[in-house]
Amino acid sequence: MTLMEPRKHGSASDSAVGSRLSRLDGRLKITGGATYALEQPVENVAHAVLVPATIGAGRVVSIDTSAAEASPGVRLVITPQTEMGLLVSGDWGGNRPEIVPYHPLSLDVTYNGQAIAAVIAETIEQAAEAARLVKVEYEEGAVVVDLFDPKANNRKSLDQMAVKWGDAEAAFAGAAVQVEAEYRTPREYHVPIEPHGLIAEWSGDQLTVWEPSQWTHGMARMYSEWFDLPLENVRVISPFIGGGFGSKGAPYFYGAVAIFAAKVLQRPVKLAVTRSQGFTAYGGRASTQQTLKLGASEDGKLQAIIVDGANETSTYADFTEQTEAATPLMYAVENFRSSHTLVKTNTVTPGALRAPGKNPSAFGIESAMDELAYKLGMDPLELRLKNYADHDYQSGKPWSSRRLREALETGAERFGWSRRSHAPRSMKEGRTLIGWGIGCGTFPNLRNSAEALIRILPNGRVEVESGSIDMGQGTYTIVAQTAADALGVPVDLVDVKLGDSLWAGAPVAGGSMLASSITGAVHKAAVAAREELIALALTEEGSPFRETGANTLSIENGRITTSIGDGPALDFATFLRQVRRESLEVRRDTLPEGTKPADANKFWTTMANVQGPTATDFSVHSWGAHFVEVKVDEDFGTVRVSRIVSAFDCGLIYNPKLAESQWRGGIIMGIGQALLEEGLIDPRNGRVINNNLGDYLVPTNADVPHIEVISVGEPDLEASVLGGKGVGEVGIVGVAPAIANAVFHATGKRIRDLPLTLDKIL
Amino acid sequence: MTDPISLNLKINGQSHALDVEPRVTLLDALREHLHLTGTKKGCDQGQCGACTVFVDGRRVLSCLTLAAQAEGAEITTIEGLAGADGALHPVQEAFLEHDAFQCGYCTPGQIMSAVACIKEGHAGSEAEIREYMSGNLCRCGAYNSIVAAVRQAAEAV
Repeated sequence: MTLMEPRKHGSASDSAVGSRLSRLDGRLKITGGATYALEQPVENVAHAVLVPATIGAGRVVSIDTSAAEASPGVRLVITPQTEMGLLVSGDWGGNRPEIVPYHPLSLDVTYNGQAIAAVIAETIEQAAEAARLVKVEYEEGAVVVDLFDPKANNRKSLDQMAVKWGDAEAAFAGAAVQVEAEYRTPREYHVPIEPHGLIAEWSGDQLTVWEPSQWTHGMARMYSEWFDLPLENVRVISPFIGGGFGSKGAPYFYGAVAIFAAKVLQRPVKLAVTRSQGFTAYGGRASTQQTLKLGASEDGKLQAIIVDGANETSTYADFTEQTEAATPLMYAVENFRSSHTLVKTNTVTPGALRAPGKNPSAFGIESAMDELAYKLGMDPLELRLKNYADHDYQSGKPWSSRRLREALETGAERFGWSRRSHAPRSMKEGRTLIGWGIGCGTFPNLRNSAEALIRILPNGRVEVESGSIDMGQGTYTIVAQTAADALGVPVDLVDVKLGDSLWAGAPVAGGSMLASSITGAVHKAAVAAREELIALALTEEGSPFRETGANTLSIENGRITTSIGDGPALDFATFLRQVRRESLEVRRDTLPEGTKPADANKFWTTMANVQGPTATDFSVHSWGAHFVEVKVDEDFGTVRVSRIVSAFDCGLIYNPKLAESQWRGGIIMGIGQALLEEGLIDPRNGRVINNNLGDYLVPTNADVPHIEVISVGEPDLEASVLGGKGVGEVGIVGVAPAIANAVFHATGKRIRDLPLTLDKIL
Repeated sequence: MTDPISLNLKINGQSHALDVEPRVTLLDALREHLHLTGTKKGCDQGQCGACTVFVDGRRVLSCLTLAAQAEGAEITTIEGLAGADGALHPVQEAFLEHDAFQCGYCTPGQIMSAVACIKEGHAGSEAEIREYMSGNLCRCGAYNSIVAAVRQAAEAV
C-alpha cells in the first residue's frame, strides 16, 4: 500500500499553484503565432491616421481638407466639424452625466499633439501622406508648460484627500532632528512596445473592437455609452496585449474616431497610433512635486511626518497622482498631516502608470528617511527597523500580514549590507565611487469580484473562459494552474480562453487586483465542477460508481475514482460518454451574497465595487525592500546600477517563475525612472520634444545588472481566496529612491529631482 | 510615385508575389500584405528592434528597409525559425524555459537578434550578450532572463 503525500504548494516538480510552470501562452509568443489586436485577419480594412495639433494651446480657426480628400486612396476625412453624434460615457466608477454630447475631436486645442483630424484611406501609406496635406490655421493662446510655469495658477486643493492624525505641526516644530526637503518627478511614459490602436467593425448595430485592453468589460461599457448601444452589442476582443502598464485600461478618443469612421464607411477601420503620437494620444505619469517634513527624536524615533504634494493635470480633466499614498503607511508615527493640490497645465490628461501615487510617494518618503539617517548618523536600515510600523497608523487597523521586516533583514543579508561603510564617498574602486542604498515600497491589496466559466468538453478537456486578460502577468498560466489544482486534472488538460468582453466577468487588470480576483472565481468554479462530476458519478444512470456504495469519490490526475482507489478509474471523456452527457458547464462568481443578476455587470464594467485595502477589519498591502549598488564615474558623473537585491511580501505566489519576472520588470522600470526617463517639454509651445524611443530613454539590456528577487511572503487569507497579494506594481515602488540614496552614498550629492542625470551629479 | 510595383519576396524559403507601392516597408509588406504578423511594429522608426528579421542571414530592421530592397534576398522571419516539424530553435526553447518575455511583443525581435548574436560570435559572456542585445528594447523588463536564455542557447547550438 502506498501512502499519498499531501500536495505541497511551492514545489517546482509539478504544475500546482505555487509551482514554476512555464508560460502556457509562451509557445505562441516565441513562434510569432500570438496574434495581437492590429494583426487580426479582418478583411477589407481601411486605415486611419490622426492629424496632431502643432500648437500647445489656442483654437483651430480653419481646417482645409481639400488636398487631403483629393489625395489617392482617401475615403474620409474627419474634423471637429464632423457631426459624430456621440454621448459622454461614465467614468471608471460608472458615474455618467445625463445626455451630454461627446466630441472626440475639438476646435479648442489644450495640448500640443492633440488630434484635430483623422484621414481614412485604402492603405496606411496613403492615409499617412494625406494626413500631412490637412492644412490647419490656429489662433495661438498662452501655454502653461509645466507644474513650475509662473502662469500655472489654476490650482485645485483636494481637501478630500487630506489625511491627518495627531498634531504634526507641533510635533515637527518640537522635534530635536528635522528634515525638510522638496522632491520632484517628471512626466514619465508607459511606452509599451506594442503601440496603441484598434480595428473596429460594424455588423448592423453590432460592434466588434479588436484592441489591446487591460479591461475588456470596462472598455466595452464605455464604447457602448459613447455610441448609445446596449452593452451586449459591443464586443472588445483582446487575446494578447503587448504591454500596458496602466495605459490600456480605458478607451481613448481615437477609438471613437475609428469606430465612427467604420460606421460611415461601412467597412472595418484600423487605426494605429504611431510611436510618437503615443506620447500625447493618452497620458503618462503626471509630473509631481512634494515637500516633506520629518521630525525625529535624537535617537531616531519619528515624531511627525508632513507632506504637501502636487501633480500636474490637464486643463479639461482632473487626474490625481497621489504623492502622499505610501507616506502614511511606511513607518510608526503618531503625528501626520498631508495635503494634495492639482495644477492645470497644457498637457493631455495624465493617466495611471505602474503603481500610481505609491511610486512618487515612495520617492519622497524613502529619500527623506535616508536624509534623516544621515542627519542622525544612523544606518538607514537601522532607522527603518527602529520605526517599523507594527500596525496601520492611518486606519488604526492591524496589518493582515506585513513581512517587511523579513524583507529588510533577508534582503540585507543577501546583499551584504553589514559590510557597508556609512560615510558618503567612503567606498571606492579607483576612480569609481561605490554607493549602497535602500528603498522600501508598498502597494494596497485591491479586491473585486469575478466570475469564471468551466466546461468539461466531450473529448475530456477542460476549458476555462474569462473576459480577463493576459498582458504578460501570466493570467493564462495561473488560471490553468488554479483550475487544474481544484479539479484534480493535469494542467496540460486545461485550455484557457481570455480577452473577450462577451465572456465571464472580470475586473480590470490594474491595481494589481486581477490575479487574486480571477483565481478566486476560477477556484470556486473548478471546485463546483468537481462536485458536480462526483455527484453525477454517484447518481447518474450509466455511471459505474453508482453501484459501488461509495458516498463520495475523488478526482486525481484527471480520473474519477473511489476514494480508496479500488474501483473503476474513468477519465472525463469516458465518463461523459457513459452517463450520456455531451459536456458539463459550470459558471460561478464571487459576487457578494444577494447581488441581483442585473447588478452583476456593474462589478465587471466599473470600479464602483472595488474594495480598498482597509475594507475589512485588516489593512492589507504588499511590501518590498530594495538594496541597490551603484557605480558612479567620478569624472563623468555617469551612474551604473551594478547590483540589486529585492525582497517582497506578496503573500502566496501563484507561480514564482512568472512573479519573479514581474518583480524584475517593475524594478527595471524603476531603474529607468531613476536614471533615464523624463518627458522633455518645449517651453515655447508645450510639445513633448523627445516623443520617440531614441530620445525618451528606457532601460536597455546593457543598463540592467543581475537582479536577485526573493519572496518572503506567506499566504494571506485576508487578502484573497488562495492567499496571494498583488505582485505587478509593488516591484517598482521604492526603486528610484534606493538608487538616489545609493548615489548619495557614492557621491555625497543628494538629488531630489528625477532622473539622476549626470548634469545633476557633476 | 504611388503606382504599385510587382515584387517577389522569398520569405522562409517560400516565394511570395505581391503588388505594393514602392514606399511600402518590408515590415508593412510582411504584416499588412502577407499576414506574416510574427514580426512586430514597435516604433516604425528603427529604435526598438521589434521588427528584426534576417535578410541574407544578417539582422536588419524591417521598418527601415523597403520591401523592394529585399527582393532577391533570403528573408527569414520568426515564423521560419522553428523546424518544418515544429521543433523549436534552441533559442526559442531557452526563451520559454527562462521566461525571457512577458507580453511577448518584443519577443520575435529579441529571438531573431539572439540567433544572430550567437551566430556572430557575440555571446561569449554576459556582458557581451547585454551589449549585443541592446538594440532590442523590452519594456516588460525580461533582460536578465534574455541573457540567461542566450547563454544557454549559445552553448546548445
